[in-house]
Amino acid sequence: MRLNTSASVISFAKQLEADSAAFYEKMAERYPKAAELFLDFSKGNKKYTTMIERAYYGVITDAIEGCFAFGVETDKYTFEREPAKGPGYADVLNQAIDMEQKLISFYTDAAEQSEAFMADVPRTFLIVARKRKDRKDKLGTLLRET
Amino acid sequence: MAILEEPIKGIVEVKNYIDGEWVGSKGEIQDVVNPVNGKVIAKVPSSTKEEIDAAVEAGKAAFPDWRRTPPVARARCLFRLKELLEANFEELSRVQTQEHGKTIDESRGETRRGIENVEVACGIPTLMQGYNSEDIASGIDEYLIPTPLGVFGIIGPFNFPFMIPLWSAPYAVATGNCIVIKPSSEVPLSQMKIAELVDEAGFPPGVWNVVNGGRTVVNGMLDHPDIEGITFVGSTPTAKNVIYPRCGATGKRVIAQGGASNFMVIMPDCNLRATIPALMTSFFGNAGQRCLAGQNAIVVGDDDHFYKDFINGVVDTARRMIIGNGLDEEVQMGPVRDAEKKKKILSYISSGTKEGARIILDGRSDFRIKGDYPDTCFLGPTIMEYVKPEMKIVTEEIFGPTMGIIRVKTLDEAIRICDDNPFHNADAIFTSSGRTAREFKYRIKSGNVGINVGIVAPMAFFPFSGMRDSFFGILHTQGKEAIRFFTESKVVIERWP
Repeated sequence: MRLNTSASVISFAKQLEADSAAFYEKMAERYPKAAELFLDFSKGNKKYTTMIERAYYGVITDAIEGCFAFGVETDKYTFEREPAKGPGYADVLNQAIDMEQKLISFYTDAAEQSEAFMADVPRTFLIVARKRKDRKDKLGTLLRET
Repeated sequence: MAILEEPIKGIVEVKNYIDGEWVGSKGEIQDVVNPVNGKVIAKVPSSTKEEIDAAVEAGKAAFPDWRRTPPVARARCLFRLKELLEANFEELSRVQTQEHGKTIDESRGETRRGIENVEVACGIPTLMQGYNSEDIASGIDEYLIPTPLGVFGIIGPFNFPFMIPLWSAPYAVATGNCIVIKPSSEVPLSQMKIAELVDEAGFPPGVWNVVNGGRTVVNGMLDHPDIEGITFVGSTPTAKNVIYPRCGATGKRVIAQGGASNFMVIMPDCNLRATIPALMTSFFGNAGQRCLAGQNAIVVGDDDHFYKDFINGVVDTARRMIIGNGLDEEVQMGPVRDAEKKKKILSYISSGTKEGARIILDGRSDFRIKGDYPDTCFLGPTIMEYVKPEMKIVTEEIFGPTMGIIRVKTLDEAIRICDDNPFHNADAIFTSSGRTAREFKYRIKSGNVGINVGIVAPMAFFPFSGMRDSFFGILHTQGKEAIRFFTESKVVIERWP
């Protein structure tokens, strides 16, 4: 599905954050030794949602191209909401790293598309992408330590 | 993406808000129809002369105390209103979509713009300060004190039911005046919702009144000796032939904002990737029902390759637009407000073709509505080539999702076409040359000028400008000019022998 409007992209971003938060909550249940980190990730997602909403509701006006700022192909960024059942810890960490990479790509692509049109929104998307890059690095460290 | 929930369930009985009370009207009742599906969502009265008189009387009675209320205390009421507007942001936005048809992004944008005016008016303790000179002669001092006048009338249009009355209302009450708002009877719900929040914010009764209706209410305002001034946004014929002269005849201050036929000048050095989305917003945003909307694009230069790229870009993008229910977050353009307005737009398209324009995207038939909705109020984007400056689709306001394309050789020709047009509301240029932009900005006789911006909507702390047949008056709504409009300069010269 292709999303062009700010409203639909913001809703999509919120959904991705909610799905990713649910993913980490499941991870925390399944792997208690890293539960604190995973719950911290989940909490971070809620913060990102607030940041995105604030940026959008703060800048959306008729002077910016709210209905024509994006061209997001959603299929590129969707992921499994639950950690895969059966495989080992390392496989699930890899799944989380893949998910983070998709989210980094989503925020980077959406920021690039809307750079000239949406004022604070692309800036916020890039901040979230950067935070997710840090998170991906942490997951990589965890994977190497496994 | 889901369709967002409709905030208005059933049929709302719209009442007047007079002297802090919700009161029914003895006037005739008319339906408010959601243009997306034709459903009646409200019943609104055409209030009587006695009812507008009662609202003015309430304002007049409230004025002495409100005027004496310190500006900081008046500002606190506005701060509370701002908080309530933020808390109800999403509902207020969805109400606009439901009563008007615009997309949810557009409604949220309108809500934000409206709130920004309340925010600016919260600065009234400093905005309203006067000035003074000590010792204008030995031992004599002189002061200027901006003072409120009394009761003002605010007449809103159908295209921005939430925002446009807020270009005036917060400044009027912040400066110590009382107001009577008359919303468009086609879209009365947004102002009803705002008045509910005004009530909750604790404004004293009589300071903020809302009277619904049509001509009787407008005439009642224009003729009322206790209304000090009027702000009006609507069509040019009404602004020019009714509001402006009658305010003059009755000694009222006036801000009368009329229609427009705006030009977007496209230079061959513009960045098309950024320009095309800006043009889509400008021409087709709010289904073209916006006094800042582009109506005609003037493509400059004889570079056929650029011209072809431009045409392909605008037609391809416009053709792919998703049209439907504005509460569907994917939708990029909603319906026009009603079937009558659609008919008028269709007649302009026909007139364009009769006068020699060629349709390259036909919004009368070449579009699809997303979802199962009747096409009563829907139109697709229409793009016409070979448009000439003397055609009706240039000299008159269409107020619909149409784009005419005029081709000229030089910037001089483009500026001449803009200048020869009777309206001068908002013109813009798209270019990567600072020199060209400056030349345009310097020479164009337009109230609001855009450089690579398709909707030249001034922020709340700037005046919403306009010239010639787009504006009648001197001072404008919003910001410092609104403060001046709603106050008289009282000059005091003081000597203590």
